[in-house]
Amino acid sequence: MRGFHVSNQGPHYILQAEGLYHVYESSALDGNVVALRGLHVKVRSGEAVAVVGPSGSGKSTLLKCLGGLMKPSAGDVSFQGLQINRLTGQELVRLRQETVSFIFQDANLLPDLNALDNVAQPLRHRGVSAAASRRKAQGLLDKLGMGDRSNGMPAQLSGGEQQRVAIARALITNPKLILADEPTGALDPITSREVLSLFAKLHEEEDVAFLLVTHSREVASFADRSLELREGRFIAQHGNDVDIADLSSTRALIIDETGTLTLPPEILTQLGGPGRFDIDPDGDTLTISRAEERDPDGDIAPVNLTLAAECPACKHLYTDDAQECPSCGSSRPMVPA
Amino acid sequence: MSMKELDDQSVMDKLSDIPSDLSTAIRSAWRGRERGLAVFAGVFLASLVITTVFAYGVGLSQSALQRGLTDEVYDAKVDFNSESDWTTRTNDSAEWSAVCDELLDREEIIDCGLVFGRQGIRLSGFFDEAFAIPQPLNAVDADGPTGNWDGVSWDYPEALENGPSINGDRILRIVDSAHFDGELADRYSDRILYGSWPESVQPGINPVILPSKIASQAEVMVNDTITYLNLTYVTDSQPSGSELTDCEGEVVTRVIDSGGYQFCSVTMTLRNLTIVGVYEEWPFTNPTLLFNPVIVGDMALSESDKTALMANDHGYLGVAIDRSLLPTSSTDDAADWLEDTKKELEGEGYGPDEEIEIRYNDLIAGSLVFFRIFLGLVQVFDYILMIPIVILSFAVLIYGLVLSLEQRKREISIHRVIGGTERGLRGMVLREMTAISIAGWLLGYIVALLSVPLILDAVGFMSFEKGDIDLNPTLGVGYTLAVFLLTVGIAYLVARARTKDFLEMEIDEGVRKVTSAKKPRTWLHVLAFLIGVFASVESYIETSGGWGPIGEDGIITGFFVDSLVALLGPFALWIGGALVLGRIGGAAPRIVLKIVGWSKFVADIRRGLRSSGSNESVDRLAVILLLTLSIVTLAAVQGYTGTLVDERTASAQVGADIQVQFEGPVSEDVARQRVESAIANLGVDAIDDIDSMTSVGSTFVAAKEGGGLVPALVLFDGHEDTLIWDEQAAPWDSYGGNTVTIGDSARDFFEIESGSVEIFLPTFTPVLTGSGFEISTTYTSANLLYIGMHEWVPGMTGAESTQAVLMGESTYRTLAGNATVDGHTSPRWFFEVCDQSNDDCKDALERLSAELVNIQGVSVASDWNSAHSEVERNGGLIFGTQGLLSLQFVVASMASVASAFVFLSLVLTQRKKELAILQAIGASPSQIIKLVLFEILAIVGMSMGLGILLGLGIAQSFNGFFDIFGFIFQIFLGSQATVDRTLVWPWMELAIVNAVVLVSVVAALLMVTRRALNSDLAVVLKGE
Repeated sequence: MRGFHVSNQGPHYILQAEGLYHVYESSALDGNVVALRGLHVKVRSGEAVAVVGPSGSGKSTLLKCLGGLMKPSAGDVSFQGLQINRLTGQELVRLRQETVSFIFQDANLLPDLNALDNVAQPLRHRGVSAAASRRKAQGLLDKLGMGDRSNGMPAQLSGGEQQRVAIARALITNPKLILADEPTGALDPITSREVLSLFAKLHEEEDVAFLLVTHSREVASFADRSLELREGRFIAQHGNDVDIADLSSTRALIIDETGTLTLPPEILTQLGGPGRFDIDPDGDTLTISRAEERDPDGDIAPVNLTLAAECPACKHLYTDDAQECPSCGSSRPMVPA
Repeated sequence: MSMKELDDQSVMDKLSDIPSDLSTAIRSAWRGRERGLAVFAGVFLASLVITTVFAYGVGLSQSALQRGLTDEVYDAKVDFNSESDWTTRTNDSAEWSAVCDELLDREEIIDCGLVFGRQGIRLSGFFDEAFAIPQPLNAVDADGPTGNWDGVSWDYPEALENGPSINGDRILRIVDSAHFDGELADRYSDRILYGSWPESVQPGINPVILPSKIASQAEVMVNDTITYLNLTYVTDSQPSGSELTDCEGEVVTRVIDSGGYQFCSVTMTLRNLTIVGVYEEWPFTNPTLLFNPVIVGDMALSESDKTALMANDHGYLGVAIDRSLLPTSSTDDAADWLEDTKKELEGEGYGPDEEIEIRYNDLIAGSLVFFRIFLGLVQVFDYILMIPIVILSFAVLIYGLVLSLEQRKREISIHRVIGGTERGLRGMVLREMTAISIAGWLLGYIVALLSVPLILDAVGFMSFEKGDIDLNPTLGVGYTLAVFLLTVGIAYLVARARTKDFLEMEIDEGVRKVTSAKKPRTWLHVLAFLIGVFASVESYIETSGGWGPIGEDGIITGFFVDSLVALLGPFALWIGGALVLGRIGGAAPRIVLKIVGWSKFVADIRRGLRSSGSNESVDRLAVILLLTLSIVTLAAVQGYTGTLVDERTASAQVGADIQVQFEGPVSEDVARQRVESAIANLGVDAIDDIDSMTSVGSTFVAAKEGGGLVPALVLFDGHEDTLIWDEQAAPWDSYGGNTVTIGDSARDFFEIESGSVEIFLPTFTPVLTGSGFEISTTYTSANLLYIGMHEWVPGMTGAESTQAVLMGESTYRTLAGNATVDGHTSPRWFFEVCDQSNDDCKDALERLSAELVNIQGVSVASDWNSAHSEVERNGGLIFGTQGLLSLQFVVASMASVASAFVFLSLVLTQRKKELAILQAIGASPSQIIKLVLFEILAIVGMSMGLGILLGLGIAQSFNGFFDIFGFIFQIFLGSQATVDRTLVWPWMELAIVNAVVLVSVVAALLMVTRRALNSDLAVVLKGE
């Protein structure tokens, strides 16, 4: 690929994202929505990384930005050192054809093609002949135990079968990285386990890297490490023993390159809520403790306010609860009670 | 296989993928047929209409060709060529006959015979002096032991009226015995009314075959004999002014084109002829041929007679070609074939030493020239007429394409994620579109070819009658390719452009932050609409003869700008109107909500309706409905108007079932007796008696004693039952009670707008005086009630009608007295003889008019049915136009129903998610159906109303255009139609079409909405 910017971060990372922001523009009264707030993420070749976090934390947005399906508002995403925001549309397509594959919670099969043609389609897009594409697709379907269902149309396949077809489709291009959004979300537990064992096999035998967005403990356990995403920030990292139900047991908090530390809500509660804290770094250890309250009526302390009795502009005296001065039209201010 | 090996595909591999790609495209097209329906419909419509127009042109051409072939027995005249001039060629008729035999050896020539008739034509002029100088043989006198030969008029002025000014006398043709068998005999036999065409030479019989009019005038029958028949032939000619010397006959001066010519006319006598047949006279069609000769066998000629005729250039070989070899695809192809044949025949040598060269004068090609000019005009008109429906089909195609692409958004996204390139995806979409387009083209093409014969059989709007000519119009490779390119090609180009835009937007979606939607050019739409409305108003003013202070020339008086507005206005109104009014249609739910928002009925859906009707798809649905329904309205209005104009024209020309013109004024009893005699001779069940008869008398009246005379027409009793009256003809068809109407040109004499008018009838009496006699004029007068202006009177010409005062018999009795009225005679009588709604009656009328010509004293008989057929082909509008308008009506009706169905389905599929959300938040299915029904029915209802209004406006706007072309054709074909093109509004037909559209819409709505409601909410909501 010509004209690619090669990052100086070294090629052993298959995927890197730095300072990733994404803002959804909205005309709603509460304004735009910031989905990602300066994320940094690195995935090594052959590594499996899970992204966990509550709904609305920005997981899907992150995956779209990382996969080049959506341009982040700010920040860089690089595949093997190639910055994707500098790629042309065609180069981006080639990246999808050769390096990255996607698997979605909803299999997203092409409804008008049968299983075999669905799997073969990425190769057809690459210009591979129909016969050769189908041969390889059939091999993959056989491998995934779907060989006898290759002529089935998507509507005729069960959810698990559809997902296996989607996985076969993701694998047919021999990708180096698979981005998966809740890959087992629509599957029953048994099928989920089958899919995960398939992932594990690929991970081990083919050295394919994974970045998985999930709510599932089993999926997260498959990953080498899990990143905990909250409010658009990675706040902690977990090992492969992550327990989605109780993240606190495996959590290692992250202080990113900009020095930002975000505490999960339960830790903040344990600390007694927001406030000012003294810190005491000592080698690898950072101790934080609540600072002494110098001004108990500080700006975060609650203040009792009431409506002003007199209009500051025309000195009109209010006799009721009017919000607007009936004399000059000024807004009625609030004053300490 | 590694990825590298997979990627390295050979050219052969790529080629071997083509069938796979095609089959995928076809399968995909079939599976996604719902989304492709609109594209299919657009291409189908375009293919149907364009093929129809082309094939219709071919059909017209074939029809013209076949009609042209029936004009003349001979397909060509063959003459001997000579280097200097014809005077040096052989006079040996045997040698001529020998050449005939040689010609018969050729595949194309199937019969040939020696003919003595019109002199050879050396110059290939057309309607010019050189064409008019060669003279025919003329019959001038005859007598026989039976009949009344003194009553025969050998003058034939009709020949001059219907063709170039060659000769106004009855012509004569002498044929050799080769004409008594074979193809030429068959062709002559087809025209024989009584007796038969001779089959062989009978010793002692010199056969003669007479035109029916001559036989009628001479009061002779088959097997009667003619003692002698004098004919004249021309030996020399030169322009008037110089002396024609050495003329052994009589010097005759004739006016030829620009000047006079002198001809040396020599008389020859044929004796002892036997009448073996009487033939029905040919119609006056091709003016390049001479009409209706007396035909005599050449056994009546002595050898010296033959030599004399031959020596004076009156001989030629009459040739029949094998007409089945003539290409029937078009007049152009036929003309090319004839030209090739002529070249081949003229290129060969004839005679024992091949020293004889011939000139091959092709008569068919001559006829074709005449028809091709006419057909060119017809086709220009038809192309313009069909423009709206072609535009409509492309609008359906484009809108359908956009909607279908929008439906594929998710599919495209999936392809994008798995590595689909823009080019690859475009190819995929285009292959599918092409597969759909080809299917649409093929079906449209086939349906068009099957429907064209029907269109050519149209005898009125949505009224068809099998004609007497078999037509099988097919398109050649060139035209087929043109239709293919115009439909599939344009669909491909449109699809390519739209798909490119769409894919670029889709693929760049992640990269491009903001995509700006193209704003519609509202100002352009409004401007087009306003120009169209102006053109419509202008047309109304012009056809109404002015409005308020504006005169009959309209607002624009300049010819060029006025013509431009008349031509472009209808299209501007149609397209601009559809786009502007489409927005009103799209906003209908909100408009209707404003009107009925207070009602409890809409209480639970009010909130949902407030935001409806604002999306582009809904606007498109409204625009398509407006486009289709306005064409339906246009076609119905113009079609019914045209039909009525044609019928009125036939009624105005003939006046009744049968109009008979006698050679002189006859009384009612005589007229009745003669027609009854013809009915008896005819002996058909459909006509057994005269149901009623009348005459229209002519006289003069004045506005005051001594004032200027104005023609007056008198409607005698029985006219109500006999004459075919029409509301446009006169305000009142009963002229009892001293009522009167006055034609437009005569109104100035009486200066009356309403009330009573005194009318004076002059009586002229010669009074003897000392030096001779003088005319004494006395007046009778009556106060008559003026009831309005008449436009035309059945059976009278336009001029006769508009210049005259029209009164009933009772009024005339008051003025002229009983004696005058009771003793009324007229050369023109009208008869009601059968019920024209019966097909047998129509045929019988045609036969009765042919029979009447053979009745003694009858000059001309014309029947309504023949006149109507002629008008359909030549008159008020143009041959087959009602058929084209019928096609337009049917196609646009089908398109409106189909597009309502398809577009609604697409629009609602797009809104599946919206409906699912409503369901998810607790709306009941009945509330949703109510919401959708209210919304869509408001849009459809509003669009229908606006569509009809728009259609009426376009019909009005198109009227000027129809008038112009109708006028051109009438001039070209000499028709004297005087009928105004007052628009007819066929409300019932429009109501039916709109009701069908409404029913389809409701059916589509219920079906699609139920399907949306039955789908899995989770899937619908998640899938987006």
